Amino acid sequence: MAKQVTLTIDGKQVTVPEGTLIVDAAKKAGIDVPVFCYHPKMEPVGMCRMCLVEIGRPVIDRATGQVVKEADGSPKVQFGPKLETACTTPVSEGMVVVGASEKVKAGREDILEFLLTSHPLDCPICDKGGECPLQDLTMGFGPGESRFIFDEKMRMDKHVPLGELIYLDRERCIQCGRCVRFQSEIADDPVIGFYQRGRSLEIVTFSEPGFDSYFSGNTTDICPVGALTTADFRFGARPWELNNAASICSQCPVGCNITFNTRREARSGGRMVIKRVMPRQNEAVNEIWICDKGRFAYHFTEGGGSGNSERLTQPLVRKNGELAPVSWDEALQVVAERFRQAGSGLLTLAGGRLSNEDLFNLRQLTQGLGGQTALYTQMAGGDLVAQVGVGQGTNFADMGAGSAILVVASDLHEEAPIWYLRIKQAVERGAMLIVAGARPTRLEKYAAHVVRYPYGSEAAAILAMLNSLSAKRPNLPEPVQALARSPELQAAAKAFAGAQNGLVLYGSEGLGLEGSQALAQACANLLISTNHIGRANNGLIAVWQRANEQGAWDMGFRPRTDLAEAMKSARVLYVVAADPAGDDPSMAEAGEFLVVQELFLTDTAKLADVVLPVEAYTEREGSFTSGERRVQRFYPAVPEPAGLKADFAVTGQIGQLLGLDLEARFASKVMLRIASQIADYAGLDYVRLAEVVEQWPIVGRGDVYYGGTSYENSQGLGVQLAPAAQRGAAVPLAWPEFASQSHSQQASAEGLLAAPINRLLDRGQTVWPSTLLHSRIPQPYVALNPADAAVLRIPSGAMLQVTLNGTARLAAAHLDENVPQGVVLVPRSMGLPIFGPAPVEIRRAEVVSA
Amino acid sequence: MNHLAEKYSEEIQAILAKYPADQKRSAVMPLLYLAQRESGYVTKTAMNEIAELLGITATEVASIVGFYSLYYDKPAGKYRIQVCTDLPCALRGAEEFLEKLCENLGIRVGETTPDGMVTVEHVMCLAACDKAPMFQVQSGEGLSYHENQTVESAMALIQSLKKGASHSNKDGHP
Ligand code: SF4
Ligand code: SF4
Ligand code: FES
Ligand code: FES
Repeated sequence: MAKQVTLTIDGKQVTVPEGTLIVDAAKKAGIDVPVFCYHPKMEPVGMCRMCLVEIGRPVIDRATGQVVKEADGSPKVQFGPKLETACTTPVSEGMVVVGASEKVKAGREDILEFLLTSHPLDCPICDKGGECPLQDLTMGFGPGESRFIFDEKMRMDKHVPLGELIYLDRERCIQCGRCVRFQSEIADDPVIGFYQRGRSLEIVTFSEPGFDSYFSGNTTDICPVGALTTADFRFGARPWELNNAASICSQCPVGCNITFNTRREARSGGRMVIKRVMPRQNEAVNEIWICDKGRFAYHFTEGGGSGNSERLTQPLVRKNGELAPVSWDEALQVVAERFRQAGSGLLTLAGGRLSNEDLFNLRQLTQGLGGQTALYTQMAGGDLVAQVGVGQGTNFADMGAGSAILVVASDLHEEAPIWYLRIKQAVERGAMLIVAGARPTRLEKYAAHVVRYPYGSEAAAILAMLNSLSAKRPNLPEPVQALARSPELQAAAKAFAGAQNGLVLYGSEGLGLEGSQALAQACANLLISTNHIGRANNGLIAVWQRANEQGAWDMGFRPRTDLAEAMKSARVLYVVAADPAGDDPSMAEAGEFLVVQELFLTDTAKLADVVLPVEAYTEREGSFTSGERRVQRFYPAVPEPAGLKADFAVTGQIGQLLGLDLEARFASKVMLRIASQIADYAGLDYVRLAEVVEQWPIVGRGDVYYGGTSYENSQGLGVQLAPAAQRGAAVPLAWPEFASQSHSQQASAEGLLAAPINRLLDRGQTVWPSTLLHSRIPQPYVALNPADAAVLRIPSGAMLQVTLNGTARLAAAHLDENVPQGVVLVPRSMGLPIFGPAPVEIRRAEVVSA
Repeated sequence: MNHLAEKYSEEIQAILAKYPADQKRSAVMPLLYLAQRESGYVTKTAMNEIAELLGITATEVASIVGFYSLYYDKPAGKYRIQVCTDLPCALRGAEEFLEKLCENLGIRVGETTPDGMVTVEHVMCLAACDKAPMFQVQSGEGLSYHENQTVESAMALIQSLKKGASHSNKDGHP
């Protein structure tokens, strides 16, 4: 533990670790030092001078080295002649800090008067008004009047789009540099910067598109004035009109804690609507940050955005070939009757955006009837994560020297931006990063070791690492043997094995179900053999494509490789939160009877015999299990539209009609059943999930100037589950079967293999209704190596006809030297039917002239 | 295509060679001078090209251009006459000198003569306070100081610059 130092701040004795800055020591003692440029997550810069305080230090006798005493025996303290910045000065023993003095008061007043000389004072039309540090501190410490001439105020542009997402008001900027520093220090996306000097200084971006960063929205939280606002919320509402509801981001497996700000408003027909998404502090998950997908892709609740994006409002039953609105009673009766007849012929197909409660009820219902369940996903391995997943107490913030992190088959910056951010920070604290991938990704910049393998050799590469550590399993297939001879791989393996803590994140780039299952097994083997399981900051994390896929595995759902056949042969198919027909038209041939439970009239829903409309997760309660296996609660943000029910309730009511004992009313009660029936979730209930402990830095209280407008977490930090390995279960090694065909054999006649990749901003069902993001979502495209393109005579940007799994679609050609030759990268959820590696045919599309 | 890199590949290599490979970004200043020499100011394209050469973002390059007053982000005359009007120079009549000079050239401060040859600007202290009125001439050919000036001497110099006579440096320090 760091040495402790005791000092006095405004008469209060405070003991803090050596090196703590005065401003933080004061905060810990409950004393607020006003700041603008300082932010507890960033290095201090001392730029704004708002934090000036008087600092006294004990006088040391040079001869004896002892503290000089006053007549009364107390230490003699000498104050400096000038005020000093509390944000750049570390504490020292015996220091006396005075913030509550006339001198400090005068200093603060002067700084504020000075800042306001260039400030427009347009609080009445400023989005920040009501949660603005400058406003608050001016009210608290500023002069009532200015001695400067109003007409000499700086006049600058007030509506400068820094790209499509963030707007800058140049007049309001007080030049604190928080935004620029966030982008370079924390996000490592230095795409905004200072331009000019002095009063002319302004924030600019020269990136293409402007302010090109997945983390851009965070700058609007920490900007201490209304200079940076989001295009989404700008002029949308006043902060004091907003209600807030705690929630969990549903866009990726990180499970960022968020707050939905809502308002009842005339322009939405008197409805309560979500106005914005704000980060909610969870230092073990997202700290006080969220990515722009989480911040802006929430509009699916209200629907819209072209395509099948209008929310369903009533149950529909097919009559005379047409889907017709019916009452819930009728719809549920029809469904129950069909389910009863189907019995073991029922196949329930569920997507990973459902909550644990929904999934649990779906499984209870289906099992109760003797039917089968399947998870709609392209990635496997959740069973292994339950065994050798990260131990309880895992927190990227605790990883530094001694920790090794291996990321394989995942472009984390695209797939889980906040994990990318936190791993980068762990590396800065000394953690050792290994990135194994078939092509370069952004994370490699921070890697100590990069392992390059050809697509198709993901599991082989990890086994090769293992093999290079011991000759335990010498009879590995040839690709493994060859990879194992690479010195870089051997060095990486050695470094991983030698680290005190070892963590593996595996993804689904280039992989389908079989490949990812093999990869998960290979990673588990590596962790088991190097003894990196069963402890905090050790173990396996899956970079799922949906927020709650881990929860789905935990609730007993498994993907199946024979899904298409199973769907065809099912007597009744019950599809919940999945759109197989939309993803691949060949999946449209469902069995005899199709029931779809959805938010939208998806392509699959259009084929259904019964469509059951449900509440969005923003309209109800529930829980998700994150990739780190943290079970977290979300709360209703807006009231459910009349006539809609939650997924678990619909399923529960169907079950009750069939005489099954299912909970259909309260999500909290479903959680109690989960806790009693699923061993890993034993002991959980909504009260425990709502527990909080004090977090550092302190944010979201009255002092928005300190941490920004991120919300304080008062509604639950969630509970991280213990994996089997931590509960003392023995976990054996198992050896994955290698696909009998190597990828080169799988390639098409032209020798091209399609490898799926994941992009953050895609055309997914819950992203597309957020039209603001459309400008950042690429048109459907495939990426290929310029050498391959040259052979095929495909110029950059050409429109291609891409034939995959028997379906032809149009997509633009992106030429990229980083794509391995012979491979065509196909982004998932971008309108092309890609599930796993597959042969692909591409040719230039006929140019149709109008 | 990186125009600068192609046209000046040797010169750029020589500049880059002065910095350790992991601190390439430090070469941003000399590369900006090179770009400015090429076009008279730093074009947006040049910022992108320099960013590419150094592995940093265009925004980072731009903030350097914005910070230093000797880099320009807008086109101007071939020669920039930069008159110091800071307090000590002002006390020696620099403001009046600037005004008269502009009158003679028929432009306002910050503007360029119609022939595109001369732009007049006022700048902060150039460390020749005792020899005011003074100015520096900045162009692709380099920098030169001109001290103890009168409007007549300045106009004569401008005429010779316009004629293409190589301007001398003998009346000032570099
Ligand atoms: S835009 Fe905001 S955060 Fe950025 S420097 Fe200006 S005041 Fe600070
Ligand atoms: S990182 Fe993932 S969970 Fe967090 S805000 Fe972004 S999409 Fe949501
Ligand atoms: S100088 Fe301390 S907060 Fe800005
Ligand atoms: S004030 Fe003009 S050169 Fe110093």
